[in-house]
Amino acid sequence: MRRVVLPALAVVLAALAVYPTVASGYGVRAMLQLFMWVALAGSWNLISGLTGYVSFGHIAFFGAGAYATALAIARWHWPWPVAALAGGVAACLLALVIGYPCLRLKGPYFAISMLGLNEVLRALVSYFEGLTGGGSGLSLPTLEATIPIYYAMGAVAVAVTALAYAIITSRFGLRLMTIREDEVAAEAMGIDTARHKLAAFLLSAAGPGIVGGLFARDQGFIEPLSTFALVMTITMIVMVLFGGKGTVWGPVLGAVVLFVSQELVWARFPYVHQLLFGAIIVAVVLLMPRGVLGVLQQRYRLPRTI
Amino acid sequence: MHRNAAGALIVVLALVLSRLPGDAQAPLRIGASISLTGTYASLGQMMKRGYDVCLKDVNAKGGALGRKVELVSYDDRSDPGTGVKLYEKLITEDKVDGVIGPYSSAITEAVANVTEKYKKVMLTPLGATSSIFKKGRRYVIGVITPSEAYLEGLIDIAARRGAKTAAFIYEDTLFPKSSVRDPGAAVDIAKKKGLQVTFVEAYPKGTTDFAALITKLKAAGPDVFGAATYFDDAVALTRQMKELNFSPKAYGVTVGGDLPKFYELLKQNAEYVYGPSQWETGLPYPGEKEFVEAFRQQFKEDPSYHAASSYSGCQIYVDAVRRAGSIDADRVREVLLKLETRTTLGDFKVDQDGLQIAHKMVTFQWQDGKKIIVWPDELASGKPRYPTPAWTQR
Repeated sequence: MRRVVLPALAVVLAALAVYPTVASGYGVRAMLQLFMWVALAGSWNLISGLTGYVSFGHIAFFGAGAYATALAIARWHWPWPVAALAGGVAACLLALVIGYPCLRLKGPYFAISMLGLNEVLRALVSYFEGLTGGGSGLSLPTLEATIPIYYAMGAVAVAVTALAYAIITSRFGLRLMTIREDEVAAEAMGIDTARHKLAAFLLSAAGPGIVGGLFARDQGFIEPLSTFALVMTITMIVMVLFGGKGTVWGPVLGAVVLFVSQELVWARFPYVHQLLFGAIIVAVVLLMPRGVLGVLQQRYRLPRTI
Repeated sequence: MHRNAAGALIVVLALVLSRLPGDAQAPLRIGASISLTGTYASLGQMMKRGYDVCLKDVNAKGGALGRKVELVSYDDRSDPGTGVKLYEKLITEDKVDGVIGPYSSAITEAVANVTEKYKKVMLTPLGATSSIFKKGRRYVIGVITPSEAYLEGLIDIAARRGAKTAAFIYEDTLFPKSSVRDPGAAVDIAKKKGLQVTFVEAYPKGTTDFAALITKLKAAGPDVFGAATYFDDAVALTRQMKELNFSPKAYGVTVGGDLPKFYELLKQNAEYVYGPSQWETGLPYPGEKEFVEAFRQQFKEDPSYHAASSYSGCQIYVDAVRRAGSIDADRVREVLLKLETRTTLGDFKVDQDGLQIAHKMVTFQWQDGKKIIVWPDELASGKPRYPTPAWTQR
């Protein structure tokens, strides 16, 4: 298995590395956004796929990272790679503050509190307009850096996927999955569930924070609405559900399939696109609640590490 | 096997055809993203139709540079991020010859970074926030009067008839906010005309429930009330003002109140509502009759200023290409910066930053199911019905 997978991976990564030299501006941007979705879906999977704590407001970390980065660039003139990392740090701090109390909530309460977090952040950003520009948005000085950002975004996507692999194949990952299956039993076995959940939550916030920062720099203009967009949270959830939650490659598969199909369909058939997206959600939930990889795993006895 | 071969042949043919070098007969392609879904859908639709009528006219007159002119457009879902991606796609993937603006200031602001990057002149028929043009961008050119002037007519009408207090609300996005809060915009104008501004508040995009806001407005009790809206919120707000019986002496919305659909949905409740407009049917501008007629014939409704501005913006762009004798961005830009003309939309002249400085806005009021232009006096076709009577008497 390994003998096939590793060389194949190397080839794909090498191809992606040279892609900007042959692709059009749009091609690079579309691929960059695919990386973004891989990183977002993979990050959501770390907390929600592994521990079963469904976060309905994960885009809050993306937004926090985007605003932290944009402010660092616009007001304090930090170079963008540093600013994007600062965005990741900001998202982690936010996760620490929010996760500590909220991860003690179970089931829908956690999901709802995360949903609330996203709305609260959006309101705050709109309210403190002296700092953030409020509803007028925040414009960054023009900078042509799409290709460096492409590589940075790709690196984050790879890092998130590698992190998922490392966690899923580790004892730490096993403990997280134990929490998912039965939290009481996990505690009885001596797992410090609160600490484990918080650790997973922090790891799942870092990716969106950095990605948000890169997005802000690439776009050059952010505003509260499109930065704290609930629809983005839903998209990343659907991607993970489609691919297979709790797996390494499920989020990648979901992001690739849904992003590419969206890209092909939406621009030309705006109304069909919305319908299609809804239909996919319903079909996945009804027909393969474990996602494509989950079904394959079950049917062909594939290893847990895919 | 047979079918595969045929399929392959078609693919090869398509590839060959799409790679043919641009001979003189290939159409001139102009790209745009337009909001066909999402909150700006009604207005985006008008924009699309304006462009369509323009291209029909242009092509009937032989196109430009001896070539047919064609629009390549996609839906941006009323989302700036999607718009950015689409302009990048249009320019680098579809390799359009030129571009033209999207709907709304927020999306224009976002995509202007892309069009600047690729050095494409972008005429923006519906991007009207001054700040877009004041960031040192070279290739963005405005067509309509900037945001600050939108509520001036409403305020002036009321102030001249003895109004003492004013209140404003706005959707919390780039354009509505700037039309109320920017220096020289509604709040400043009201103060300058001696009104006391008693209430200013923002509401988020996508708001449908205005009850809380209206309750506060009622408490403030302004004589004149201006709402910086787009279409959906303008309808919801007006409806709920009636339900909660909030009846200022003059009430106007910035955008959306001028669409025929506004009256269709609200019927007599739209009566007495004021609205600024960049253009209305019946104004004495060249080509106005032909445009309105063509539009009515094709779409079975009256064009709004969004359609007219898109129509004229597209005409001006094509005209500039003809005068420049080339679609080259720098040469077209030179022509546009020097151009002083009167189109179906009215006057056109921009300053060195591309900000529109010649175009004049009007203010209308819905009277007996028609939009009557009531401001400024020299373009007015009727008198404002002031003050607005109670809801039960409309």
